[in-house]
Amino acid sequence: MKIGRIYLDNCVTSKTAPEVLKEMQRYFEEKYWFPGTFISTGESANEQISHSQQIVAESMGAKASEIHFTSGGTLANNIAIKGLANAYKKQGNHIIVSVVDYPDLLTNAAYLEKNGFEVTYLSADNEGFISLTELQSAIRKETILFMTTAVNHTVGTIQPLQEIKKVLESADHKIYFHLDAGQGYGKIPLNVNELGVDTMSISAHKIHGPQGIGALYLRTGTKLTQLIHGVKRVDNLQTGGLSIALIAGFAKAVEITFSDFEKNTAYLRELSNYLLEKMEQEIPYIELNGPRGEKRAPHNINVSIDFIEGEAITMMLDQKEITVATGSACASEGLKANYVLMAMGKTHLQSHGSMKFTVSRYNTKAEIDETVQALKEITTELRSRSPLYQALLKEK
Amino acid sequence: MQYSQKVLDHFMHPHNVGKMENPDATATEGSPACGDQVTVYLKVNDETKIIEDISFLSYGCASNIATASIITDMAKGKTLEEAKKITWRDAMEALDGLPPVKVHCSVLAADTLQSAISNYEIAHGLKEVPNFSKETIEQELKKIIYPQVGEDIIALKMVKYIGFKDGEVIIDMNMMKFDQWRDNIADEIKEHLQKYPEVKKITINFP
Repeated sequence: MKIGRIYLDNCVTSKTAPEVLKEMQRYFEEKYWFPGTFISTGESANEQISHSQQIVAESMGAKASEIHFTSGGTLANNIAIKGLANAYKKQGNHIIVSVVDYPDLLTNAAYLEKNGFEVTYLSADNEGFISLTELQSAIRKETILFMTTAVNHTVGTIQPLQEIKKVLESADHKIYFHLDAGQGYGKIPLNVNELGVDTMSISAHKIHGPQGIGALYLRTGTKLTQLIHGVKRVDNLQTGGLSIALIAGFAKAVEITFSDFEKNTAYLRELSNYLLEKMEQEIPYIELNGPRGEKRAPHNINVSIDFIEGEAITMMLDQKEITVATGSACASEGLKANYVLMAMGKTHLQSHGSMKFTVSRYNTKAEIDETVQALKEITTELRSRSPLYQALLKEK
Repeated sequence: MQYSQKVLDHFMHPHNVGKMENPDATATEGSPACGDQVTVYLKVNDETKIIEDISFLSYGCASNIATASIITDMAKGKTLEEAKKITWRDAMEALDGLPPVKVHCSVLAADTLQSAISNYEIAHGLKEVPNFSKETIEQELKKIIYPQVGEDIIALKMVKYIGFKDGEVIIDMNMMKFDQWRDNIADEIKEHLQKYPEVKKITINFP
């Protein structure tokens, strides 16, 4: 039975929830006004923005005034990272990040490095965790900023955030902590006070909100140098216009995500565990990348399939109307093997054969069954064409 | 960036795929570390020198598999002399084109076909093992594709100088300092040349 396209690349973007679409329509059609004072259209927009800030704030234990809407997670990261680095550069010019962090963090680190900052890149272990000892020893008196990714975008590894907080707080001076929560928000509990973060970026379209809107949490009292200059319409950090409808849609997505957080994350974990178990039962020579169990985000499964190449697997799955992602160099724009897997000590072969599946609340067990069945057939077919697999058979 | 229908057809249902028992010649090119490896098997009529049967195995992407499929179709029934003229450009044309970034994946299949023919000729006394020279280096560099445009680096005049002395290959490249493909190209040059026992050292200079 064909169910229609099976989408298992939810860490990149996810389906907009129907409730979100409905909510946004009101704003696109009627209440599209920008904030203003005294006149009712402007006040209506003010109210809506405050309401949305409140909803997002509650989801992470923040105050409404600490939530700044941006046009996405990447912009939130840029505003925070460049803003913190420049605001506190008189205190020091040293920044710490890790080699497995999200590209937003690494490209910002590289940019700052070219502009007078020194950057320490922490290594990762074979499951994608950064080392606390390494973090501890990287801290020096010039260190002003530590940034990391709550949930790794490739292998779903949840960084030991509580322990990181302790290490940062044990320093004899303040080290600002920026967290990219693009993959973690809505998937693992993230409370800004428990985590001790100063800034945190989130994105709407990873939690069934609309594309084109995100938010930055900025702790009260933390300074940021202004990144984007211009007229203030909606927010003082991202100046210029921001869609009111998208903000309303984002808030609705947050409401949905956190109204059944425990139940939904348990469902995601059940689905991904089911996927992994089935693959391990049905397909020989596969290996899980990243940790197994609770230290992994509930929506992510990443495996390396030996002897065959990921772009070919992805293309064949696509022909069967199944969308997944691969870490193969051949599928990347820069023709490079996935840097997270390589940093974890995986081989080129494991990276080229890596497949990432990320599930959402809209996926079903029937879809997983169909995906594993398709993957099993594809693996058999591609292995029959593979000189590496034929060599293995000969050895046996 | 999309594959043509012909690429998809050859990828999904490749022709001439599989290991051949008792081939007259075989060749394997590429390496798993680089993400692709192709083996080509040949059965050649001793008298007529016609390729009577041909097959391949591929560890690689859709473009790699599709090229191996079509190029083995093109070589089948041809004499060795005719088959020697088949290039990756012919294969690419027969596939209705490839996205520029995927052209390099198609070169490997064409390359392996030529290596298998060469191995047959050497084994049957039809030619000598060629001496390693600057021409060998140039021939190898013609197989390296600049991913941005899908054309080889010799045709694009990206190679300013080729030298070979006392086991050291020296190549001066003409690529911009911030060219995002510099590392890829350098890695590929090394991969292509270090398989020759004559090559002890490879020096690539960028401006």
